[in-house]
Amino acid sequence: MPQDLEMVRATLDRARDGILERANVVAAGVGYKVTRGVRTDDLAIVASVTEKVPPERLAARDLVPAAVDGIPTDVLPTGEFRAFQSRTERPRPAPGGVSIGHRNVTAGTLGCLMRRGGQVVILSNNHVLANSNEAARGDAILQPGAHDGGRFPGDHIADLADFVPIVFLEPPSECRFASSVISILNAGCVLIGSKTRYRTLSLQVTDNLVDAAIARPVDGAFVEDEILELGALTGLGSGSLGMAIRKSGRTTGLTAGEVTQVDVTVNVQYGAGRTARFTDQLMAGPMSQGGDSGSAVVDAENRLVGLLFAGSDSSTIINRIEHVVAELDLTR
Amino acid sequence: MKRSVAGVLALLTLCWSATDEGAMHQNIQNVKAENEARLFALPGVVSVGIGLDPAGGEVIVVGLDRARPATQESIPAELDGYPVRVDIIGTVRPR
Repeated sequence: MPQDLEMVRATLDRARDGILERANVVAAGVGYKVTRGVRTDDLAIVASVTEKVPPERLAARDLVPAAVDGIPTDVLPTGEFRAFQSRTERPRPAPGGVSIGHRNVTAGTLGCLMRRGGQVVILSNNHVLANSNEAARGDAILQPGAHDGGRFPGDHIADLADFVPIVFLEPPSECRFASSVISILNAGCVLIGSKTRYRTLSLQVTDNLVDAAIARPVDGAFVEDEILELGALTGLGSGSLGMAIRKSGRTTGLTAGEVTQVDVTVNVQYGAGRTARFTDQLMAGPMSQGGDSGSAVVDAENRLVGLLFAGSDSSTIINRIEHVVAELDLTR
Repeated sequence: MKRSVAGVLALLTLCWSATDEGAMHQNIQNVKAENEARLFALPGVVSVGIGLDPAGGEVIVVGLDRARPATQESIPAELDGYPVRVDIIGTVRPR
């Protein structure tokens, strides 16, 4: 039966107040009817409820009728709606997904809570909490980060506890032998008409596995073991090719994607001519922007699989959580 | 001079084909690892990983910072039987 959206909206306008006054109903709107988990093409009046209760446990006046003026209804459990919490504000306790940073860093994302020994620590990136190796253990960490108005001492949430140093690639080789080999190769390229040119690269390529750091909250009550819009983590997982993933970050909020590449070796430009090479990374599509660094990445079951740290116009680069916990000696 | 250039080029060609033939039954991780240094030596290569083609088969994916005709020409379409795809992903920076 084809339905006219305007007609359904008019019906909703008449029925709205009656639906909203029923127990547990928190919203009323127009949507497509879902039958046995599958979306149909029929428009319906959708009542959002805090929880779905069996009809026999509801008073007759609280039951949402099966149809209103011939328009079918749907009951959708959504939970309580809360006022939007800005990720750049200063919630205490602070959940994962909000702005954080070292005093001298603009801002990144508070990933999630982990444990080292018996202590609760905040997990994020080295370039967020330890200013890309430039910080010292004990330095103040601000929430929100300085770019979002975080100031010392009012927004001092934690102290830098540890970080895995990032090893940067050496600048182009000064080795004369290498340079002459390269000249010969390039001369060869000219001879065969190829436009390819070779460059000298330092032979001492040191690979990084993680851009990670941890900070110890100055007060346990300042942090919360939940992630905004993702909820509680259910444990640790392992990223695999094609896996559906989600993250919750300061700048782009909750986003979803999938692991498009594994075993990724990637050169990351840290600015000021500094490049670091990372191996065994996960790649996903464009699901992040600047400020999302440090976001926890989870699988469909909310298991922690990675730590987001870099990206380009069309990619997001994620450390495997296996390497993060091994390098920093962490547990969940 | 010309002769030594030709010699170096012949040696390079030998190196590529030797790995191609000597490692027919390698898994894709090993093939990727063996070729990584040579791929990163090409201008504009920012990443090398393992991805999926539309049919669900594993492919070696080379990421470039921008369109690079010369680099794209010098990347083989296959390495040891595994397809190679070139994606222009842009410069990768910390977020």
